Amino acid sequence: MNTAKSRREFLRDLGISAAAIPFVLNLPSIALAEAAPRKQRLVIMFSPNGIVPPNFWPDETGEAFKLKDILTPLAPYRSRMLMLQGISNKVRGDGDNHMRGMGCLLTGIELFPGNVQGGSHTPAGWASGLSIDQEIARFLQSRPDKQTRFGSLEFGIGVPDRADPWTRLVYAGPNKPVAPEMDPYQMLAKLYGQAQDGESLRSVLDEVRSDLEKVRGKISAEDRRVLEEHETFVRAMEQDLQRDAQTPQPARPPEIEAGVKNNNDNLPKLSQMQIDLLVHSFVADFARVATLQITNSVGNAHMRWLGIEEGHHELSHHPDSQTESQEKLVKINRWYCEQLAYLAKRLQETPDPSGSGTLLDNTTIVWTNELGKGNSHTLDNIPFVLVGNGLGFRMGRAEKYDNVPHNRLLIAMAHAMGHPIETFGNRELSKDGPLSGLT
Amino acid sequence: MLKKTHLVYLPLIGVLGSVAMLHAADQPKSGEQIYQEQCARCHGAQGEGVKEEYSQPLQRRHSLDELRKIIDETMPADHPEACVGEDANRVAQFVFDTIYVRNDSLRPRVELSRLTVRQYANSVTDLLGGFLGQKWPDDKRGLQARYFKEHGFGGDKLAFERTDAKVEFDFADKSPDPEKIGSEEFAIRWQGGVIAEETGEYEFIVRTENGTRLWVNDPEKPLVDASVRSGDEKDHRGSIRLIAGRVYYLRLEYFKFKDKTASVALEWQTPRRARQTIPERNLTPGRFPYCFVLQSPFPPDDSSMGYERGTAVSAEWNAAQAKAALEVARFVVSSADRLAGTKEDAPDRAARWKDLCYRFAERAFRRPLDAEQRAACVDRHWEGKDPQTAMRNTILVTLMSPQFLYPDLGSGECDDFTVAARLAIALWDSLPDDALREAAANGQLRSEDQVSAQVRRMLQDPRTKTKVRSFFHKWLPMERLADISRDKERFPGFDPLVVADLRTSLDLFLDEVAWGGHSDFRQLLLADDLFLNDRLSKFYASEPINGPAFQKVKVSSVQRAGILTHPCLMTGLAYYNASSPIHRGVFLARSVLGRTLKAPPIAVSPIDEGVNPDMTTRERVSSQTSPPVCQSCHGMINALGFTLESYDAVGRFRELEKGRKVDATGSYRTLAGEETRFENARQLAEYLANSPEVHRAFVQQLFQYMVAQPVNAYGVDRLDQFTDRFTQSQFQIPPLLVDILTVSALHKHSKENSS
Repeated sequence: MNTAKSRREFLRDLGISAAAIPFVLNLPSIALAEAAPRKQRLVIMFSPNGIVPPNFWPDETGEAFKLKDILTPLAPYRSRMLMLQGISNKVRGDGDNHMRGMGCLLTGIELFPGNVQGGSHTPAGWASGLSIDQEIARFLQSRPDKQTRFGSLEFGIGVPDRADPWTRLVYAGPNKPVAPEMDPYQMLAKLYGQAQDGESLRSVLDEVRSDLEKVRGKISAEDRRVLEEHETFVRAMEQDLQRDAQTPQPARPPEIEAGVKNNNDNLPKLSQMQIDLLVHSFVADFARVATLQITNSVGNAHMRWLGIEEGHHELSHHPDSQTESQEKLVKINRWYCEQLAYLAKRLQETPDPSGSGTLLDNTTIVWTNELGKGNSHTLDNIPFVLVGNGLGFRMGRAEKYDNVPHNRLLIAMAHAMGHPIETFGNRELSKDGPLSGLT
Repeated sequence: MLKKTHLVYLPLIGVLGSVAMLHAADQPKSGEQIYQEQCARCHGAQGEGVKEEYSQPLQRRHSLDELRKIIDETMPADHPEACVGEDANRVAQFVFDTIYVRNDSLRPRVELSRLTVRQYANSVTDLLGGFLGQKWPDDKRGLQARYFKEHGFGGDKLAFERTDAKVEFDFADKSPDPEKIGSEEFAIRWQGGVIAEETGEYEFIVRTENGTRLWVNDPEKPLVDASVRSGDEKDHRGSIRLIAGRVYYLRLEYFKFKDKTASVALEWQTPRRARQTIPERNLTPGRFPYCFVLQSPFPPDDSSMGYERGTAVSAEWNAAQAKAALEVARFVVSSADRLAGTKEDAPDRAARWKDLCYRFAERAFRRPLDAEQRAACVDRHWEGKDPQTAMRNTILVTLMSPQFLYPDLGSGECDDFTVAARLAIALWDSLPDDALREAAANGQLRSEDQVSAQVRRMLQDPRTKTKVRSFFHKWLPMERLADISRDKERFPGFDPLVVADLRTSLDLFLDEVAWGGHSDFRQLLLADDLFLNDRLSKFYASEPINGPAFQKVKVSSVQRAGILTHPCLMTGLAYYNASSPIHRGVFLARSVLGRTLKAPPIAVSPIDEGVNPDMTTRERVSSQTSPPVCQSCHGMINALGFTLESYDAVGRFRELEKGRKVDATGSYRTLAGEETRFENARQLAEYLANSPEVHRAFVQQLFQYMVAQPVNAYGVDRLDQFTDRFTQSQFQIPPLLVDILTVSALHKHSKENSS
């Protein structure tokens, strides 16, 4: 342990990041792994419009639970999954349930009042706090031994090209929604982009910054704020590039199919490409936290590949009595579950480069949704299905809670990632601390 | 009156209230007193708003008369009878004289804005267009076609030339012209430009069993290369991103050689329309230069105010603009010789390249460079660097500079160059052209007359038409037509091609109203003709039309009235299998009448038709929105939306729904409280066309879309002035644009700091 630590510090002093160490030392990574703690990873996967409760929640609790038809794709991972029922998004305030369901899901905090009007309730703006994935990523980035190139990666699949509270799941801070990357080619470029570009940018950024500084003097105080913010982004970019330049690329870029267009009918293909890139980014240790956002709150994917012409959101409004629509909704949700299963499979078959087991042994996927149920728009009983052993929870069971605020689960996730925060989001809702009974 | 009010109010306000009342009985209360007692609870002691009650500050939005009426009839919201008559008048006077004045300082200001996504893309296209050459199409349509006697394109084999309206031929085993060409082998080259009406990914498809190559935009590199035939594949595809309102180089080469049969069609799938043969109106003969189209994506702009604006920056945007700058720099470096008009072995090559850098920065900054800028942007990078690196860094610094990214930054003063920059951004989403740059350099953008003359010139440019059309698309919620599908059993024949034609039909109508010889906003609402082609005339059962070209057809003025009843909009504002009076009513209230609608107080999902299959849509909607809590808004929404009930979910006119006569009666009550009843859509249209509320709402939305700033940031009375002049001009749209552009371009922005 000591030896490994001092080696790392030495290299860091030379300006070489922790991620690069195995390559610099030209050691088989297993040699380090014995000394280093395991690399925990977290993926949060989102699908929209609520689920069909009778076809989702198991009738049993504990280890004897049976998978209902939406969840059948997870059969191979039954012993590594954990279903949490009875967890509710209790954040209130502005915005309709779809908006709050989305914007408060990972932030656990109210939306700001704003000018975006939903189908009901008051208008609202963005969430007033950062999301748990960003909180955890920020913590990891603050620890030299847990730092990665990106900290977190935000993957989108079929998210419409517009920014509003329905399309944004991840927040870097209050009023700071983060756009997911929908295009696998752009993601590929981000992960493995040309070093040349970075070099060119690096050589001009200080001048851009001084240019911004110069013009600030010519404008009013209110307008200055925008330029100051712009300047901080330029500075952050400079720092990122600096770090980048020092990190040798440890993994070869994956081959992905060329020319796949970003449209509704290509969702199955895009999903697979994005998941493959996600797994690659973990292998390369580009990030240890990722989100995978499939469409958006009120997402209206037309799953023609399942023989369903109507949009998902439209169908999700149909009453329980319409069995034909409910059957379609089951199919749609099972398709989302298949994406989860594919991700689990890819993680399961990929050895963890740090040496201990497979990626799934060190990764937990959390599958969630902005609503409990589509036609009632309830924020109670939000689906939370966990797969994999990254968080060290006791798996292979279904647990039922008594309507507890979801903030407590968010806190428990941070704790499991080694970040023991006391509250997250709304303080009142966090007051009972991390959710118990998980380990 | 006063007494009666208090009697009603007394039990409600309890003991405290009755003490106040005793005092009031002697002496009438002042407007301020009443305000503090009855209004401040929700509006705040200074009219600043109260969170969770009425959070918006009270700002100058109504005339004194309007205020009186609103207070008299609707305030306080929970007991409208508690403040009426003289009390209401006094409160209105107080709000008007004191609160409004106080809150005038909260008036929105013109905010510093970066280029929006659209503005960035258009700016770099035109920036490089200045060096690549730019050409706009004339009125000629179709493609120039050269027919050759053999399967090659040698000049001596040319048989004849002509113009073809489109490329869609089935020669079978015959010759295109038996008198001039044999049937065994021949070749055809079509050349011209293709006009893109939307921004996004286009797929071009050449459908043929013979050999073909297709070039789009780039004359050097074919987009489709299928000169070797292989297998049975008849569709040869290539994708390319194009931006709207521009014309792109196009060349299609096609030949028959050793094949039994011959046929060829040039088709496309545009970002929002179904696959079809490229229509004649999108093809033009002539030769067009390469047009730089930015590929790097940007995060979408904030458009929550109804227009895209660049008043916020984010880390994603910063990364996107850096990537875009890199993309442009890569292009400039790789084409520098061509852009600089030099050659690899020319002795003055480096000097030419450097000169290109100065000219590039000058266009990008929309003004001549001062000595400091010349040094920082260009000279510095040329010291001791190879020309490629120097050029790349110059382009990067230029495009990442605030002088390029914030078009109104200028020199800090509103000078001629600032005016030119504003005109180009507002009308074209782009940079000033040569004529504007020249006018600015000569100090000819100072007076209203000078600026108006420039605007009139600029209106003729296709880029203006593109922007105005995109305004209409935002105003009419055209995005609702994206990926639309309808119940196939109920609406047989309603396929993606009908949707594509509907879009075209509406666009042709909008262009005609905006730019036709008799531009008149009212015609948008009143016109009793539709643009139809064969497919639409069949589906909408009008008199038959031959061919895919659109013709203007008179329709029954009872059945149709302008955009309101246009099947494109009626389809967009409907569900999978039924009309939607609520969507239609909300559109009429918000977009057409400019009314503010409160948020629905409770979450409601539409009742499914299956629940009570005998109910008409009107009955279903009425029953679901019948609770009093819904009626405060749905009273207005439904009464407007129901007038369009004669149009089903695909916009067909109907007299019956479920075997019962459609009830399309409705009504509207103005802000001032005047109520009008309508028997049908035509009567509604007649009313709206002459409604000052509608004119004002249109002017406001057009202003804000073009200028991307709130209109009241340009003066409290500005909107009224524009609306008055619009009315005086008999509602012509081009003079309104001239007015809006002249005023906003010459506006002196306040630089005072308001704490």
